[in-house]
Amino acid sequence: MTAVRGGEPETLLEVRDLLVRFRTHDGTIYAVNGVGFELGRGERLGLVGESGCGKSVTNLAIIRLLPKPAGRIEGGQVLFDGQDLVKLSESELREIRGRDIAMIFQDPMTSLNPVLTVEEQMIETIQAHKKQSKTEARARAVELLGMVGIPQPEKRLKAFPHQFSGGMRQRVMIAMALALQPKLMIADEPTTALDVTIQAQVLELISRLTTETGTSLVLITHDLGVVAGMTDRINVMYAGFIVETATTGDLFDLPSHPYTVGLLHSMPRVDAKEGEPLIPIEGRPPDMRREPTGCPFAPRCAWRVEACWSENPSLAPLAAGGRIVMTGPSASHLIACHNPPLPDEAELGRPTRKGHVPAAAPEGESDELASLAAIADGVA
Amino acid sequence: MAVATKTSPIADSRASRGLWTDAAYRLMRNGPAVLGLCLIVLFVSVAVFAPLLAPYGPLEGSLVDRLQPPDLSHLMGTDMQGRDEYSRVLYGAQVSLVAGVSSVIMGLTIGGSIGALAGGLGGRVDTVLMRFVDVLLAIPGILLAIGIVAWLGRGLPQIMFAVAMTNAPIFARILRGSLLSLRESDYVTASRSVGASGRRLLLRHMLPNSLTPLIVAATLALATAIIDVAGLGFLGLGPPDPRTPEWGTMLTDSTKFLREAPWLLLFPGAAIVISAVGFNLLGDGLRESLDPRMKR
Repeated sequence: MTAVRGGEPETLLEVRDLLVRFRTHDGTIYAVNGVGFELGRGERLGLVGESGCGKSVTNLAIIRLLPKPAGRIEGGQVLFDGQDLVKLSESELREIRGRDIAMIFQDPMTSLNPVLTVEEQMIETIQAHKKQSKTEARARAVELLGMVGIPQPEKRLKAFPHQFSGGMRQRVMIAMALALQPKLMIADEPTTALDVTIQAQVLELISRLTTETGTSLVLITHDLGVVAGMTDRINVMYAGFIVETATTGDLFDLPSHPYTVGLLHSMPRVDAKEGEPLIPIEGRPPDMRREPTGCPFAPRCAWRVEACWSENPSLAPLAAGGRIVMTGPSASHLIACHNPPLPDEAELGRPTRKGHVPAAAPEGESDELASLAAIADGVA
Repeated sequence: MAVATKTSPIADSRASRGLWTDAAYRLMRNGPAVLGLCLIVLFVSVAVFAPLLAPYGPLEGSLVDRLQPPDLSHLMGTDMQGRDEYSRVLYGAQVSLVAGVSSVIMGLTIGGSIGALAGGLGGRVDTVLMRFVDVLLAIPGILLAIGIVAWLGRGLPQIMFAVAMTNAPIFARILRGSLLSLRESDYVTASRSVGASGRRLLLRHMLPNSLTPLIVAATLALATAIIDVAGLGFLGLGPPDPRTPEWGTMLTDSTKFLREAPWLLLFPGAAIVISAVGFNLLGDGLRESLDPRMKR
């Protein structure tokens, strides 16, 4: 492990060319297609994309919790603290799960066992990794519940999950995830199932606790508003690929992939100009049962050129030249695009350059842009 | 996300006190289930207190008194050997209760182990065990029981084992099914994500959560077990001692006197029906109260 180099934190997690497939009776689902990213110690990374784009699968694959037997890691490496998690045995992985990598799931209503008290579940987690007496583990559980803001932790420890509200259960999940001071916490849409008022509290809690303990965070969400305030860096995923990665500031200042531009324009903003329309992203995400050929976003992209249909662009720096930095505040801005939107086009949400016509779809490919022209006319 | 917006399953304002307390509360408000429970209490207490309730011993009687119609001294008349039918029906409850309960417990042990292994381990073990279960399920229950008794010989333990083997595949399937669905549930994934071992997942997280359908199935199986035991007795595969007061055997013995003494068929038959109906009603009630979604 190298020491910190000029604002670039030491790498904790490195995912290389991760391939995940689901072999089902209906055929193969190409869920994750060569995803690669790095995460520094103490860094907070957002993973953004629409439902089914492979965000959750990527993270389940990292700790190898893909549903068996359909889900398989068919390639790539997951280097965590120098160890390749893909190669570890189940019992070696068990050591790492919970102790070094913890996970918070989307739905707190179903992620606690209904027949065990919170106490039993928390003590079980602690004792799974630490040689501790029941009394010690119990004291730690009380401390943790207090830390996540559950009133009367001594008393609430004896309660069953159904006696907690959704927000409180998510707090319990956070307490359990932090019980062993993991190096990495993966939060998979931690607030999606919660009321808006509770969402902010829970996010604030995750943010505060991970900062205090120096835990790295991967935050999965489809809500750009959530990642904006919570993360240092963002990966935008589409159809099992990372299409854009940048620091949070860069991504919002200069969104450079048509999909990111589309995401930002389809989200209502407080600072929007009056009369500024919300532009939806045309069409539907691709059928994940097809092996990807060209750029997966091509059918829905107004900036597409001929090459987009045949050749899938790889992640490359937006600004040519210079060293590629994968982590930290000076991380490079990378995009996977043949014809990236210019800054003023990104601002408007559609191509404005003279003479540009989205390249026609070749035989057998669906064109999802059919009604885009109509919308553009309406705006102009 | 439907889970997040799910309202409380209990319609009234009473606060929830846990799964079992709630279930017991719902059970007590279910008329048929309470009736079933009453019938079972009657059945069990008759079996337990038979020596106190019966005016005569089950084997007592003289041929002089044979085939007497019901009167005050013999409430259900006497059989072809002059034994008091009422006393024999009461003692018969003992045989049925012991045979029924033991065979269901035996079936639960066998079927439960198979189901837990198959559902917990999955893969090839699952395939092999479940094909074996499929084979057992393909044979009609009573035929399988007859085969086993014919193979092992007559006797109460053999009968219990035979009836257990007709129930075991059903239990195995139910347990395996619920284990499989639990294996992909969020809280099992969550427990795996904190490093719980496979054994711990199965014993502490999955098994306790898969017990409710098994409890219901076991209650319903008690009803069929009692009928099966009586059925074996009726077919002449009852306990080896022909004097044993077993309801099925009593039915067979009395068929020869159908014209002279029809009450000899009526009373043991009614006893079988009452106990079986009791367990059926309770089983249905349990199903409804343990799974509130079943209720309309």
